Amino acid sequence: MSETLPHEGGVILPGGPGEAMSVEIRDGGLVTQEMNLNIGPQHPATHGVLRVVIDLDGEVIVRARPVIGYMHRGFEKLAEARDYRQIIALVNRHDWLSAFCNELGVALAVERLMELEVPERAQWIRVLMSEWNRILNHLMFIGSFGLELGAITPVFFSFREREDIQSFLESATGGRLHFTYTRVGGLKEDLPAGFLDASRQMAATMRSRNDEYRQLLLGNEIFQARTKGVGALAPDVAVDYGVTGPTLHATGVAEDVRLSEPYCVYDELDVKVPVRTNGDSYDRFVVLLDRIDASLDLIEQVHEGLPAGPVNRKMPKTVKAPEGATYVRTENPLGQGGYYLVSDGGKTPWRMRMRTPSFSNIQMVPELLEGSLLSDMIAILGSVYFVVGDVDR
Amino acid sequence: MAAPSLPGSGLLKGLGLTFKTMLSPATTAQYPHVKPELPPRTRGVIALMEENCTVCMLCAKECPDWCIYIDSSKETVPVEGGRTRTRNVLDRFAIDFALCMYCGICVEVCPFDALFWSPEFEYAEYDIRELTHEKERLREWMDTVPPPPPLEEGAVPPAEIEAGIAAARKEAEEAVAKAKAAAEGGGEPEAEGPQIDEELFARLVAEGTPERAARAKAKAAFVKAQKRREREQGGDQ
Repeated sequence: MSETLPHEGGVILPGGPGEAMSVEIRDGGLVTQEMNLNIGPQHPATHGVLRVVIDLDGEVIVRARPVIGYMHRGFEKLAEARDYRQIIALVNRHDWLSAFCNELGVALAVERLMELEVPERAQWIRVLMSEWNRILNHLMFIGSFGLELGAITPVFFSFREREDIQSFLESATGGRLHFTYTRVGGLKEDLPAGFLDASRQMAATMRSRNDEYRQLLLGNEIFQARTKGVGALAPDVAVDYGVTGPTLHATGVAEDVRLSEPYCVYDELDVKVPVRTNGDSYDRFVVLLDRIDASLDLIEQVHEGLPAGPVNRKMPKTVKAPEGATYVRTENPLGQGGYYLVSDGGKTPWRMRMRTPSFSNIQMVPELLEGSLLSDMIAILGSVYFVVGDVDR
Repeated sequence: MAAPSLPGSGLLKGLGLTFKTMLSPATTAQYPHVKPELPPRTRGVIALMEENCTVCMLCAKECPDWCIYIDSSKETVPVEGGRTRTRNVLDRFAIDFALCMYCGICVEVCPFDALFWSPEFEYAEYDIRELTHEKERLREWMDTVPPPPPLEEGAVPPAEIEAGIAAARKEAEEAVAKAKAAAEGGGEPEAEGPQIDEELFARLVAEGTPERAARAKAKAAFVKAQKRREREQGGDQ
């Protein structure tokens, strides 16, 4: 503080370089000045280029405003100039941590417009891939949340598993992050020999590893002190803001598209939705761990029930969706994803609107941050799960 | 969690796991020294089988990034006893890997199997212009293309691949049978090229039909007769 700032009716804070600062307390108590602080757009705690402008009163956040748009790439507009196969490669990239779930949403939308029946086997493999993708995504957030709170080990653990999972997903899809495995009318190609064995083995390993994460972090007193009761979200506020996914489940609302509007073969499977009640950072983290277990249950069910048959329908050379509009909801790892597809009968959509979970989740960041301490900001931002590419699109 | 028995016990439990992991073997990939074993479907680099390319431009049209550059020219091919034909010649085929997003659409749309994925990935450059691989470089990648993996149990191979395999098998069997017959029959050379029905040709020319038309008719008649013979032979078996 190099200059003395006059403050109406308050204290004068003297102090300059080399000068000790003394605060005079008058009858009204200590009056401090609000300080405006920019967090980001480049900040290790923000998962990408999110900027949060906060006003601080001492250490308490008075106002918080997320500034988005630094990663806006215009996906919705780009989609209007691309045919459906190209769109599948495109939507892999807005939420790079849930690539398969995104492309599945687009494929489902086009298939619904065309009234296509997708082969049974393709639907089961789609479920298998979505669930592995969900685990990949959650592992990322489990690792990074520990990292943000100062624990460096969880990220090593979770990336070890991510590496293994990515390797065997690569053997089927050819990609490690951008799978581009779905096609309108089925899948790109069937699984390679040995994939199911690798998947079974990984599922067993993952179960024991998930217990390790619990052992590593949940009992930790520092972790508990920093997350329990921090950034508690009320269920009605969450629903008002359109919050979905693990962030919503932590508040006690068990809304899940896989149950409320099943797609693929989720209606034939036993889908468990883990729910916690407090809605604070700790519960949001525990829900992630529980969701991994729930996904592993689904994966094991797919291993049991995967039928034989083709994975593809015979499709015309150029896929054209008939005139009309449809909205498809899918349960993406971070929450509810949706594609509103309007077609005028051509080979590109007339308009494709995306509903991305991160965008809705980030809306209630001011709600959580206002009134909390600056030091809790990272615990809150790290546990409201979002990907900035998914926010800005 | 467990009842707070001792302050810091939860922390120690976590640290215990860390310590246990420290004693277990490392999972670090020793990358530059040990090359990773990548599955055959890995999208590493695109290889071009130049001989198969017919310059149909489908890959360049379908590419979402427009990073495939194709130049072609027409070449006239004289055909003996017929009109000269024109043929597309591939002058330039380049993929700019600085732009490519590795979606694999070009490989998928190629109707003549000229493009393939190879798991090779070590082609980083100091100069971005070097990332545009011309057709000679793309042809070299062909040597690294692995065969496609067998499919998982319960999978139905695509119809066109099954048909292709069946056709190739049949062709191979026929070639073997032919070679065997040739070896047994003392190497009697078979007539090559299109044959014509000489009798009909002579008659048509005598009747005043132009020679080219007469030749075509005679050829058609010969092929028809040959097919009938083959059918009869097939019926006997």
